Amino acid sequence: MTALLSVVILGGGVAFLIASVALVRRSERRLGTGPDESGPPVAPGQTGAAEISAYLDLMTAKLRLPAADVAEVRAELADHLRDSIASLEAEGFETERAIREALGRLGPPAELGRQLRVAHQSTRRLLAGAGGGVFAAGGGFVLGYLGGIALGLLGFLAVSAVVALLAAAGVHLPNIIANDGGTKINSLLYATTILVAAAVATRYAVRTSAGLSRRAPRTVALFWAVAGALVFGWLAIFGMRGPQSWLGVALELCVPAVVIAAAFVRVERPMPHVGRWAIIGSAISLVVLSLGFFAFSVSSTSGGALPSLDVCSEPDQSTSCQPDFHLETVAPMAPAAWLPEGFPLNGGSYSFGASGASFDDQVSSGQPSPPIAQALSNWTDVRFEAWHALPMNEPGPGGIDTRYSAPFAVQPAVSSGSHLTAVFHFERLRDASSWWVVPTAVGPDGHRYRLDDGQGGISYFNGSAWDWLTAPQ
Amino acid sequence: MSGRIRTQLLKGTTTLLVLTVLRDGELYGYEIVQRITERSSGAFAPSEGSLYPALHALEADGALQASWRESDRGPRRRYYKITKTGLGMLEEHAQEWAAFSLGMARAVGGANRQ
Repeated sequence: MTALLSVVILGGGVAFLIASVALVRRSERRLGTGPDESGPPVAPGQTGAAEISAYLDLMTAKLRLPAADVAEVRAELADHLRDSIASLEAEGFETERAIREALGRLGPPAELGRQLRVAHQSTRRLLAGAGGGVFAAGGGFVLGYLGGIALGLLGFLAVSAVVALLAAAGVHLPNIIANDGGTKINSLLYATTILVAAAVATRYAVRTSAGLSRRAPRTVALFWAVAGALVFGWLAIFGMRGPQSWLGVALELCVPAVVIAAAFVRVERPMPHVGRWAIIGSAISLVVLSLGFFAFSVSSTSGGALPSLDVCSEPDQSTSCQPDFHLETVAPMAPAAWLPEGFPLNGGSYSFGASGASFDDQVSSGQPSPPIAQALSNWTDVRFEAWHALPMNEPGPGGIDTRYSAPFAVQPAVSSGSHLTAVFHFERLRDASSWWVVPTAVGPDGHRYRLDDGQGGISYFNGSAWDWLTAPQ
Repeated sequence: MSGRIRTQLLKGTTTLLVLTVLRDGELYGYEIVQRITERSSGAFAPSEGSLYPALHALEADGALQASWRESDRGPRRRYYKITKTGLGMLEEHAQEWAAFSLGMARAVGGANRQ
C-alpha cells in the first residue's frame, strides 16, 4: 500500500512538473519574437517611409503586449498598409497622398493601439494568466529546489577542490566549518535551494502569466514581485524549517530581494531552453542526491563515521570505554555512600523527536526499582545539565569542553517511578552542536554532584530563519 | 453626412460582417475589407481602424483562428479562418440582426405610413 502510494505521489509529481514545464514553454513561444516582420510598406528612404514607421511606432507603444503579439500586429498592419497604398495608387493617388489616405483610414495610432490591446487582453486570458502563473510557480519552485541542491553541491565540490589544491600548494585557509558538525554547510545548501527555488518560481510565474494573459512581462512583473516576495519571503523566513546558521539565515533573508530581482531584471529576455535546463538540472540533482545517499549509507554501515559514544561509569574501566571525559568539570561523582541501592544511574537513554531531545535515566538495579523521588529524598535541585562537548566527529577522547565553566542549558528533572526525565530543545539552540548531558543534584552537604556520567551527542539547529534569529544564544 | 450615418450604423455590425465573409473561406485583413465592400456592392465600407481590433477580439474569443502563411501575391499574410465557435456566434448574430432589421423596418415603415 505504501509502495503504491509512493508510486502515485511520484507519478503525480512528475506529471505536474512536465505539465508546468510544457505550460512555460508554450508561454515562451508566445513571448518570443513572433513571425518575421514584413518589411515596411514603403522601403526605407522612399517617400512616406518615416511617416509610416512613426505611425506604427505610436501604435505599438500603446499595445503593451508580448513581443510576439507586437511583432504580429505590426507586421499585419504593415501588410495592410502596403495593400491599401497600392490600391490607392492604382486608383490614381500619388504615393505621398496614398500613404496619408491609408494611414487616415486606420485612424489615430494611439487609439488603434489601445483598441488592439483591449482586444488581446480579455478577462478570460487574464484569468488564464493568473492560474497559469501560479501553476508555473509551483513547478518552478520544485525544479528550482532540485536545481538549487545540484548547484549547492557542485559549488561545495568546487570550493573543496580549490581548498584541496591550495592545501597541496602549501596555502592553508582557516577552517570555517570546524567544530560545527557540518551545520554551516547544511544550512548553506538549504538556503541556496530556497533561494534558487524562489527565483525560478517567480521568473516562471512572470513569464507564463505574461504569455497567457497577453501582457508584456514587465507589466505583470510588479504583481508577481509583490506576491512572490510575500509568499516566498514568508516561506523562507517563517515557514520552512531546516538547518540554520548565520550564513544560511543571511541568504534566506535575501529571498524577498532576490524574488523582486527575478521578477524585473531582464524579464523581457526569452527563456528558450527552459524545458531543457529544467530537465538537465533535475537529472543532475537526482544523480547527485542518489550518490550522496549511497555514500552516506556506505559510511554509516561501515561504522567509520562517528566514534562510539558509550559512556563509562567511574568504576567501569573496561577497555571499550574512554577513561576520562573531563566530567569533573561538571561536578564530582556523588559519593556511593550517599546513594541508595541502584545508584549510580545507568546512563539512561535519549531520543530525538518533534518535541526535542528526551533524556531518561533510571535506577540500574533493584527489583522492583525504588521510586526515585524516595531514593533522592535527601537531595535537592535534581536537574539535567547540558554542557558543550568536544567535537565528536573528530579523533580524540571527546567529552566535556573544558573551556566552558557552566552548562549552556539546564532542565529540572521530572521523577516518575524509577525514572528521571527531561527534555532539551537543542534544535532550537544556535550553537548546541556537540553536547554532553549529565544529571546532577545538590547533596546533603550542600554541594552539587553528578548522579551518573551522562551521555553525549550532536544536534543541529532545525527551524525557520526567524526561529534562529529569535533563538537564545 | 451619409458616410457618418453609415459608419454609426455599421458600428455594431462589424462582427457579423466579418464572420459572414469568413464563412466562405480564409481571408487576410485587407481582403476582408474588400470582400465586404464587394458583397454589399459598395454600400458598406467597414472602418479599417475598427476591423483589426474586431478580428483580434474574435480570435481571443475563439471564434477565429489566425495563421501566417505565404500569399499569392506579396509577403506572408495573417489569414483568418472561422472556427466552430465562430459559426455558432455567426448564427446568433444573424438571428439578432434579422430580428433587429425586421423591427426597424416595421417601425420605420409604420412611421412613414403615419
